[in-house]
Order: sequence, then structure tokens, then C-alpha cells
Amino acid sequence: METGQFTEFQMDALREIGNVGAGNAATALSQMVGRRVDMSVTKVMVLPADAIAKFLGGIEKNVAAVHMPVYGEMLGIALIFFPLERLPELSAMLIGQKEEDPANLSELGQSAIKELGSILTGAYLSALFRFIHIQLIHGVPGLVIDMAQAILDTVLVELEQREEVAIVIETEFLEDDKQLTGSFFLLPEAGSLKKFFEAFSKALGIPSDG
Amino acid sequence: MGEKNIVVGIAEFKTARDPDLMVAYGLGSCVGVTLYDRLHKVGGMAHVMLPSSRLHSTVSIPGKYADTGIEALCSALIGEGSNSKFLEAKLVGGANMFVSIIQQAVPIGTRNLSAVREKLREKGIPIKGEDVGGIHGRTMFFNLSDGKVEIRKLNQPNNVI
Repeated sequence: METGQFTEFQMDALREIGNVGAGNAATALSQMVGRRVDMSVTKVMVLPADAIAKFLGGIEKNVAAVHMPVYGEMLGIALIFFPLERLPELSAMLIGQKEEDPANLSELGQSAIKELGSILTGAYLSALFRFIHIQLIHGVPGLVIDMAQAILDTVLVELEQREEVAIVIETEFLEDDKQLTGSFFLLPEAGSLKKFFEAFSKALGIPSDG
Repeated sequence: MGEKNIVVGIAEFKTARDPDLMVAYGLGSCVGVTLYDRLHKVGGMAHVMLPSSRLHSTVSIPGKYADTGIEALCSALIGEGSNSKFLEAKLVGGANMFVSIIQQAVPIGTRNLSAVREKLREKGIPIKGEDVGGIHGRTMFFNLSDGKVEIRKLNQPNNVI
């Protein structure tokens, strides 16, 4: 892929975008649950598609993912992954009701998780706009619980790509002593990836040929 | 010569023989197609991503599409000493896990399955077993010693076809 690797400088910028996004999301989330929720970015990276499942804990690891289309000056798919075993705590934080079986969430639990995915995505997309001036909006979120690789497989098919690169921002939420994580993935479709890297380079004032 | 575990990744196709085991992990809307020749105990698997190569002017990865993937797999098996009249097929995958990403009249998993069936009909290869559709992903293991395919799914007992 001609985008090559992100430089250390670009990764720093991406981390900053992540921090601003997490800050926005924490504000929105605190308002939603009526209590203070802190968020911090723990990891930022650019991953090839075949490394994503490994990052999530293995190809057959069961995970929960909120997925939504991303439109605007670029097309792609946003995914927020949550560890399946932590879903009951997440839903407890969001709706004050603990779910019994993470693989079979109540309808209310499902909408809460989708809303959380939507809040995070919105926050990161607006942070991206602020830094690299690419205007992006996301569509209606859906929730899927399945093997990490099967979710990825479906996303790659939707993008008609075999080799894909994902921009990953891993976020940690802290409410009281509870520590929960969610990983934001932005997978731009092939033509859009180039545009994304160009906008990125332009915003950082570096040549885009590298 | 011991048995090998051969992983068939997205858009790939590979051949193998008794006593190898072929694996495709995490099939979502992709379709895993196995072709098996009982007589020669040789077979192969294609991990098909999209229905048709016809909308694309250049096909650099034949395994990506149902039509070119099955064609390429058949040719490879003939090269391994098989004959298309000995081949039988099994299909796994083609789930429709996401309903809301890209709105289409017929979801992609279903279109992949139709395209695979159409190509197999054209080649005169019978379909001997299927574990397809639904909303969940699958991992499949193809045993080259007997042609059996074992399927793993979330929260469900394994199925053998």
C-alpha cells in the first residue's frame, strides 16, 4: 500500500486527535449518565487488517462491535470494539442496569452500547475535522457480537478490500474505580485512505509524497 | 510426511491432500467453498469475498470473486491430478451480520452464495453440504482425508457436514 507507515510525528498528531476526541466524548458521556466519567487514550496506531483480530485478542475471540458507516469527504466504516465480558459493566455504567448475559443483551442494553459507540465515533470524527479539516459524519450504529475475524471479514467485504489499514484509537473509561476500554477503528475505503493521508500531511505541513 | 494445517485467508484459494487440514477463520459474509475429489483424496478451498469479477476490469486476485475463484481452484485441482467430474462442493459462510452499513436490496452474503452456486452449476459440480446464511460468523475446518467440514460458531455446538 502506497500510504506507507505513519511517521512518529504523524503518530503524535494522531495521539493528540485521540486526546481531544476522548475529552469531547468524556463530556458527552458524563452528561448522558449524569456522573463524571473520565476518558484517556491509551494507544494510538495504524494497523494492517490482518493484525486487527490479533490486537482484539485473537481471530476467534468473541467481541462486541458497534459499527457505522462514515460519509462526507471520505468514505469508510467506523468500528468500536468492546471486550464481550465487560459489556455488563458498561451497560451498568450507562443505564444503571447490569446485564446477565453479555451475548444476549436486553434491548435497552443494546441501545446503550450503540449510543456509546456513536458518542465516541462522533467525538473522534469532530476531533479529526478540527485537526485535518476533513468533514465526516457517521450513520446509524448497529451492534454485532461475534468472532473478531468474522466481523472484520464482513467489514472488508463491505469495503471491497482485502488489504486494509485501520486507524486505531484505544480509549479507557474511568468511572469511580471501574476501568473499561473501547477501541475505535476507522477503516477508510481504498480511495479515501489516500485522501486521508494527504489531508493529514497537509495539515501538518509536510510533503505528502512520503 | 505429516499432516499440515493450511490456513486459507480472505480472497485466497489453496489446494491440499490427505491427511492435511485446511482452515478458514472467521467467515462473515465471505463464503468458504471446498472442492473434494474422493478418489484421489485431493481438494481445495477458496475464501470468496465478492460475487462477480465482471464489474472489475482487471482481476489481479482471482480468489477474491466467486466466479474466478472457483475457476482458478478447479484448474489448480486438475493440475494436482484431479478431474472436475470427481469434484464435490461444500459451502460455508455467507452470513449477513451487519444490516445497516450499506443498504442493498440483496445483502452481500446472500449474493455471494448465489454467485457460488451459479458457478458450481455451470461447472457441473454437485453441492454435498452447506452451513450458510444467518447472522453469525463461522470458522471452518476441511479434512482432506474424508472431505468432511467442521464448522464452529459463537455459542453453538459444532456442526459437521
